[in-house]
Amino acid sequence: MVHDRRVDDKTLTFIVSGKLWRNSMIMQDRETGTLWSHVTGEALHGELTGRHLKILPSTQSSWIKWKSKHPETLVLAKDEEISASHYANYFDDPDRTGIFRSVWLKDRLPGKELVHGLQMGDESLAVTDARLRRAGSLDLELGGKVIHLEVSSDGGARAFLKDDTAAEWPLRTAYWFAWSSFFPLTEVLD
Amino acid sequence: MRIMLRVTLALLMSMVMLGAALAEDRKADVFGEFEGAPMYTVLEPGDIPAIEDPQFVSGDDADAQMLPEEPVIGIVLNGQARAYSMWQLDHHEIVDDVLGGIPIAVNW
Repeated sequence: MVHDRRVDDKTLTFIVSGKLWRNSMIMQDRETGTLWSHVTGEALHGELTGRHLKILPSTQSSWIKWKSKHPETLVLAKDEEISASHYANYFDDPDRTGIFRSVWLKDRLPGKELVHGLQMGDESLAVTDARLRRAGSLDLELGGKVIHLEVSSDGGARAFLKDDTAAEWPLRTAYWFAWSSFFPLTEVLD
Repeated sequence: MRIMLRVTLALLMSMVMLGAALAEDRKADVFGEFEGAPMYTVLEPGDIPAIEDPQFVSGDDADAQMLPEEPVIGIVLNGQARAYSMWQLDHHEIVDDVLGGIPIAVNW
């Protein structure tokens, strides 16, 4: 997830609060101490409660695919040798879904199914990565708008409003257990 | 740095084990309840160090530090592209950056 750090005329600096909510990380800004959900971008506690950080479109891909599409890219320098995810066992174990038990809709999809989540007002929709890869692209109706979802040339997924603006729409790519604990009323396309 | 890594790993492992215990008896340190869901205090602020002064290398130089299939978060803003290794984000969770003139927080 990528957020714009600006709220009104302030630019915020985020640190890891050490708190967890709905199995996900809570960020804290140095300037006001406000606690923010990194999934929704919403301020939950503190001076800026109720404010939202703007979510910027980003892609999850592999290094080789990203570089072939964006050869001029810069890359975050590593300060230590990191050659594998230290969550590797966690990701590989289908029964371990989040640190705390949460309410997610086990009967609809496996917890570790990767979904692309879209939100428009009160309506939310999760499209499984497998479904998107099969189709290549999909036109989806959500909140009275049509959204075009496609596999992008850099290997990730992107969404655009299907109207005159063709504006890019933020996608939240997540495991089903995480998405469904935030959006229990979500529709599913699989 | 190796010691830092070991400490971080140990903390994360204890978070996972603590989580398993909590799922059983729910004796968590509950900070508060938000939108009907409890928020737990697991670590102190900054115990997992966000990257507040990120440094960058070129794509060709990055080949030495990245595996081809290494997962990345990629973003393009105002014509400038950047990639962040998700394995690296596992250790820091947040990068406070500025891209294309826009202050951004990359988080995972």
